[in-house]
Amino acid sequence: MTTVALLGNPNTGKTTLFNELTDKYEYVGNWTGVTVEKKVGQIRHSDTVVVDLPGIYSLNPITKDESVVTNYLLKDKPDLILNVTNASQLKRNLLLSIEVLELGLPVIITLNMIDDLKRSGHYYNLETLSKSLGCPVKTTNARSKEGLEQLKTELIQDNVQVNANGPLKLNYPLMVSQAIRQADQALVKDYNIEPHFAHWLAIQFINQNKVVRKYAKTHQLKPLLSQQAYYDAQKFADQIFETRLSFIETTLAAATEQLQSTQHVELTSKIDKIVTHPVFGLPIFVGVFYLMFKLSFDWVGTPISTELDKLLSGPISTWATQFLTQVGALPMLRSLIVNGLIAGVGGVLVFIPQIFVLFACISILEDSGYMARAALVTDRIMEMIGLNGKAFIPLIIGFGCNVTGIMAARTIEQPKERLITTLISPFMSCSARLPIYSLFVAALFPRNQAVIVLSIYFLGIAVALLMAKFYHVLFKVKEHSVFIVELPEYHIPRLDIIWHGTWDKGKGFIKKAGTIIFAGTVLIWLLSNFGVHGYVTGINQSFAANLGKILLPIFRPMGVTTWQPISALLTGVLAKEVISSSMMVLFHTSNQAALIGVLSGSFTTLSAYALLVFILLYIPCFATIGTIKSETGSAKWAAYSVVSGLVISYGLAFLIFQIGSLLA
Amino acid sequence: MRKFVIQQFTGLDDSTVQRLHSLGLQTGSPFWAVRFYPFHGPVIIQADDQRIGIRYTVFHTLIGG
Repeated sequence: MTTVALLGNPNTGKTTLFNELTDKYEYVGNWTGVTVEKKVGQIRHSDTVVVDLPGIYSLNPITKDESVVTNYLLKDKPDLILNVTNASQLKRNLLLSIEVLELGLPVIITLNMIDDLKRSGHYYNLETLSKSLGCPVKTTNARSKEGLEQLKTELIQDNVQVNANGPLKLNYPLMVSQAIRQADQALVKDYNIEPHFAHWLAIQFINQNKVVRKYAKTHQLKPLLSQQAYYDAQKFADQIFETRLSFIETTLAAATEQLQSTQHVELTSKIDKIVTHPVFGLPIFVGVFYLMFKLSFDWVGTPISTELDKLLSGPISTWATQFLTQVGALPMLRSLIVNGLIAGVGGVLVFIPQIFVLFACISILEDSGYMARAALVTDRIMEMIGLNGKAFIPLIIGFGCNVTGIMAARTIEQPKERLITTLISPFMSCSARLPIYSLFVAALFPRNQAVIVLSIYFLGIAVALLMAKFYHVLFKVKEHSVFIVELPEYHIPRLDIIWHGTWDKGKGFIKKAGTIIFAGTVLIWLLSNFGVHGYVTGINQSFAANLGKILLPIFRPMGVTTWQPISALLTGVLAKEVISSSMMVLFHTSNQAALIGVLSGSFTTLSAYALLVFILLYIPCFATIGTIKSETGSAKWAAYSVVSGLVISYGLAFLIFQIGSLLA
Repeated sequence: MRKFVIQQFTGLDDSTVQRLHSLGLQTGSPFWAVRFYPFHGPVIIQADDQRIGIRYTVFHTLIGG
């Protein structure tokens, strides 16, 4: 079996190329130590496996996620490296290529997005490039499938001959060359390290590669460690960078050919003139996201969800009840399946259309190149709370679903900023909380429904921003936010790429419905159908009622006087959309109008508002807690989000009710 | 668009310098300022046919401020 590692800068079309080259792919867990998924695919009709490595700018990583590639090269030896480059930005792409070519493994470089380059009026002589870099250079355009068949043929061939001349050797300044030579000779002689690898290790170590320096420390590579202070004092890293850049400039100058220019680049500039306008950029951003939400929660997603809900609560539930009655199933089992599983798991599954439409919109924004612009126009606002523009997107997405919002935080470079964004994401009012707001405002604020709901949304944002500032101080975030965002060329989104992106993002939600939500539903059903004396027919004797009654004294200071809302809140941990249906069951009401009537009699406007604030901020749902755990790689942060949510929500609801009561 | 030349990287943190280097920028590199956002917000610069958004403080340092 041949392993090809796909490696390259971000925005080179690497993922599109991976999808085009492989006919099937799977996620085989995470890369060691980080939450970046390991994606492996197979080239059709071959035993060649392609490993998709995260997009990086350099082998010297800034973030933990970027270290995946260097660690991979240190530990694994792929049979071939396919270095994907953006043909239009070859200068900076080759900086990474040089680092890879110095390793001495077989490498094929592909100039991807070759059409963009041609449209800009340039082309490169591939033979000149190949001769200078010492490896085959191909051209592709993954979006239009140009050059892919030829590339596939190259990849499944025997690659021993690819780098027959060995690693690329640049003419570094004399002192640097001498230092590299001395170190690699000692590494080969004293540590029995393979000469090419020793040479690469020496260059990377001198070039201040953090991962390689850690590797040297772990393996006690004294020839390198003993000279570290000398290398740094002589600023060898700067000299290495300058030599590489000068080599690239000479190579590209020799290989550049002029073509007739076209207007494509102008088009991106023209769109950017409007989209990134200093004044209109922000309103356009708001408009784009408003459109995204309208599509997801109004025009497309919700109507499909409503139909799905009708289907589940109507024909499917009826059919299940009839079937179970016919086969003579026990009433308890019938209740578990119909009232527990179909209602509970189904209640979450009906959100799939909304979530998938939202993910499709996000994929379109990513694929078109707009996402980078959105980060740019919101950066100034985020800078005030110690975050950067890249953190704004996850928070906005969190309005749809906190789970996806937290996942979108992966693009943030600094681990602490990413952690802060993850921790504040649950405070953004997700769409699942809207049904319960609707019930309460209809019951107690009939004339000011929109204002009250809007105030809740803004309170969520305010709490999130305040907490971000608080965490910024608490975590002693000293390092400056690295906010350097590339603005790629605009592309017309391609349907299959959008589908890939949507499915990759959304499939986790379906998986959760079948696992954690399924389990949680059974638990909630058990709590509301069993009491201390076993199976109960009246919910008043159930564990859920008992629990609500026990917790009632704690909730009284925030204005709650009945146990039912408390038990309903407990079910909300499963999924927020369950709160309203639980209240329906717990208050013994048959329809929404009846429940609104009961609520208006059980709450005052003040206690209702306090409860809404509590619902906004209290424990995140199971799916969100699970995502926090997987994204931070720690159960500690998941537990913390539960505790902090409870403390903040209780504190605020308590203050609102108590101060409000004093003023009334 | 106004043309500038990178005067220095001194004063920038290591990660920012490293990322700018990775994008092919070095002392002496010419670049164009495409857009300035209000209240010292980010600046869009263009260098080597690529457009990059950077913070105003970084821009200010690069031009020798």
